Amino acid sequence: GKVPASNILASAPSDKNLDAWRELGCRTTHCNLEVVHRSTLVFLATKPHILPGVLEEIRPAVGSHHIVVSLVAGVTIQTLQRLLPPWTKVLRIMPNLPCVVQAGAMVFSRGSNAGDEEAALLKSLLSSCGLCEEVPESYIDIHTGLSGSGVAYVYLFAEALAEGAVKMGMPGALASRIAAQTLLGAAKMLLETGEHPAKLRGDVCTPGGTTIYALHQLEKGALRATVMDAVEAATNRACDMAKD
Amino acid sequence: MSVGFIGAGQLAFALARGFTAAGVLAAHKITASSPDTDLPTVSGLRKMGVNFTVSNKDTVKSSDVLFLAVKPPIIPFILEEVGPDIEARHIVVSCAAGVTISSIEKKLSTFCPTPKVIRCMTNTPVIVREGATVYATGTHADVEDGKLLEQLMASVGFCTEVEEDLIDAVTGLSGSGPAYAFTALDALADGGVKMGLPRRLAVRLGAQALLGAAKMLLESEQHPGQLKDHVCSPGGATIHALHFLESGGFRSLLINAVEASCIRTRELQHLADQEKISPAAIKKTLLDKVKLESPSLSVASASKVSLFTNRSKKN
Repeated sequence: GKVPASNILASAPSDKNLDAWRELGCRTTHCNLEVVHRSTLVFLATKPHILPGVLEEIRPAVGSHHIVVSLVAGVTIQTLQRLLPPWTKVLRIMPNLPCVVQAGAMVFSRGSNAGDEEAALLKSLLSSCGLCEEVPESYIDIHTGLSGSGVAYVYLFAEALAEGAVKMGMPGALASRIAAQTLLGAAKMLLETGEHPAKLRGDVCTPGGTTIYALHQLEKGALRATVMDAVEAATNRACDMAKD
Repeated sequence: MSVGFIGAGQLAFALARGFTAAGVLAAHKITASSPDTDLPTVSGLRKMGVNFTVSNKDTVKSSDVLFLAVKPPIIPFILEEVGPDIEARHIVVSCAAGVTISSIEKKLSTFCPTPKVIRCMTNTPVIVREGATVYATGTHADVEDGKLLEQLMASVGFCTEVEEDLIDAVTGLSGSGPAYAFTALDALADGGVKMGLPRRLAVRLGAQALLGAAKMLLESEQHPGQLKDHVCSPGGATIHALHFLESGGFRSLLINAVEASCIRTRELQHLADQEKISPAAIKKTLLDKVKLESPSLSVASASKVSLFTNRSKKN
């Protein structure tokens, strides 16, 4: 409820995705320049290879009153500032998928002309979608590895949990829902108690009980190292892609 | 109060050294016995001022608290030998891995109707007064008897009472634990040497690092995971190193080790309970073979019955 839908204008070359926007009550157009003319806060949400062309297109219309926020993966603030007028206030943000259900994790960094006011505006706007934190730009690729891609790791884990349950005799649909709820509940406890995960883990482990037996299996499989490897791989890939 | 040790090996030596250093007991109030006078620990005990004898019976007679500090398979024969001299006043403390209170009480009950038995599991660092000890009291041991032992053992480290069924797990963790630490320290020192440190310095630094970390943990309310985090600056050296440890399954190896030691202790106890060898028949041969340590138990063979214990007490 931060912004009325009628104040949101989205543009795309074709109508393919615009229906969804219109359904929300937003206005739509096929003209990128129109978006820039009629908005103060402009989000760039194109695919990376499209962006340079779009920036060239809108460059003449960008003024010092505009706040340009890029959601484009791998495009650095330096690149954005290079392709836009020198007075442009630029911010770069990396969201993740669960923003869709207002449980996202986002980080953003500011360019040279973006000040506290712009950062505060963005943060307040985006907090409606989840966790939103300002970070140095170098953290953005790490965020990709941790949380952007991280969502997929969780889906994989949820799937595996459910499969384990199915193997032991539980119907799949029920197992999936319970798996998801388990992850949700555990995450909620982490966020709300502020306790260290190792402590929360210990709290669940009764001596000689089921949990410690299961955890031993996870340790045998070097799960921790594998997860660290995954975050590292995704982060490195994000860095490499940014260089292209 | 006088203390006696049946057995004059590593454990007896470590405890005697610890008690005297702590000042809870004067050396001349300690007696230790063993048929084998060649053990290096024997001369160590003598030098300390401990009364050494070859007669287990003498030790029993001159002690109030009697530690059974022999290897587990020897226990039954010791009990047979000294049983007649055990009186109601004695507190018999068995330190033998896997040997149950009930098996000791059973053996002693033929001689003494209400033997006070306490089962204890300690570890070698008692020698530097940083031992980890647990004990469980037997049927006829009073609260004061337990407290007396606790006072003694607390002078050489940490000591607490537990239910007997936890003692095998304690063996796996802190009984064998020093061996895991020595292994880790050896390897850490190798790492240091590889990266250019002289060996002695590497050993010294590695040991100090583990000592310091352990001390921090014991004095902190925090979870070890939190303390670990405090050492790991983002993108720094430590987190890189930890990743290697995790990749190698470091944690699971340690869990496996504790589990293996605990299970083996139970196995040995189980084997010992099934032992059908007639004590009289092999007693003398066994005592002659006190020095030998073979890793296999042969129940059928009358000549070789020494078992592999979980705490390495090799000379």
